[in-house]
Amino acid sequence: YFKISSLTKKYPHLSGALFQTFNDLLLAQRWYDLEIRETLTAKHVIIEGKRPETHLTHIVVPCHLSDSLSMKWLTSIFEDLNDVPELYLAIISEDSSIVYYRISSGIVKPQS
Amino acid sequence: MTKIPLYISNGHAYVWTVEDASELRSKHRICGTLSGTLPHLSQQNFFLGLPLLLMPEEVVLLVENGIAVMVDDATATREPSASDLREWDESRKQVVAEQIEQWQQRETARQALEMTNGQGKGRMSEDALQKRKERLERKAREEGAANTIDENLVISRPTPGPVLQPQSSYMVQIPSTSLSHSWYQPRRYDTLDSAKQAGIWQFPSTLEERASYHVFRDLWEKGHFLGSGIKFGGEFLVYPGDPLRYHSHFVASVLPSHSAEIRPMEIVAHGRLVTATKKSHLLCGWDEETGKVTYLSLEWSGFG
Repeated sequence: YFKISSLTKKYPHLSGALFQTFNDLLLAQRWYDLEIRETLTAKHVIIEGKRPETHLTHIVVPCHLSDSLSMKWLTSIFEDLNDVPELYLAIISEDSSIVYYRISSGIVKPQS
Repeated sequence: MTKIPLYISNGHAYVWTVEDASELRSKHRICGTLSGTLPHLSQQNFFLGLPLLLMPEEVVLLVENGIAVMVDDATATREPSASDLREWDESRKQVVAEQIEQWQQRETARQALEMTNGQGKGRMSEDALQKRKERLERKAREEGAANTIDENLVISRPTPGPVLQPQSSYMVQIPSTSLSHSWYQPRRYDTLDSAKQAGIWQFPSTLEERASYHVFRDLWEKGHFLGSGIKFGGEFLVYPGDPLRYHSHFVASVLPSHSAEIRPMEIVAHGRLVTATKKSHLLCGWDEETGKVTYLSLEWSGFG
């Protein structure tokens, strides 16, 4: 967890969410080629990795249930990531439960 | 092209004819909600009829696009004058006189046919015919006396003279709308500003209402059909086509500014509900400074 520990000083409020999400993706969801990156304007940390089902690269944005988000924040993350079409928001609770929701840029029909 | 009248009553806009309602739906993608119920049915949730109730967003869009005009329903009818009522009474008498004439013609023809038929069953004897005639005449006189209108008016119906073969009943039509009366003179408003000044319409007046309207308008301009989102916990339901043919693809919620708070719990709630119903949630952010709407689509990831 070298990469994570190096970022916890800079993003103390994110350290819990980041750690939990990384572990969940790696061990429970079995994602691979995980990388941790910082976003510029949004001042946030994201995890990039490959899903075993699709073998495509996806982006996960961790946050806490108690965080305060906004349209501005979400759109700036999309911009920082070079207008990637979609990302997964990972929401962590106090008891370390994680739920993932897909957020797509624009009007995108349901994919399920 | 005549504008569709929207009858404004207590801040709500109603469409009262089938033609207008279907034109709004088929030509302008504006569906509204039917709100008419049957008077004797205590609880009605399905099969509602006219009038069609429009969402305030639908009203503003129609007026701004010059498709509809707002009619002040409450002040549309003035007190009829004495001459108004005289005319109205004359036209009703005219209708009755025409009916009596037609009846007389039919009766004469029928009786002529009966007499030439000889011993048909039900043929009345001369005495019986005379008695019947007297009975009908007596009844017409009694009815004639009872048929004067309000005593306060200086109109009196002349007592009917002896009618050859009086009819004891005739039809009086009561029109279902006031539109044909000369004392119906509604004030019509072609712009939102004039309606606001007259005090009959306020929407949109807050930032939230403006945001809601602009999101509605933007989605409508993109070709969608829109309905109320109350059943799915959102502001609007967004359909790819007529709601009678399609299920909605999106539940839309409106954010009045780009800095408006979105709580992660809301994302969980919206995302979960919408995925369970095969839809997506649409977060619609209104930016008053740029006048643009930004969209983010939300659904459950499928894992986790």
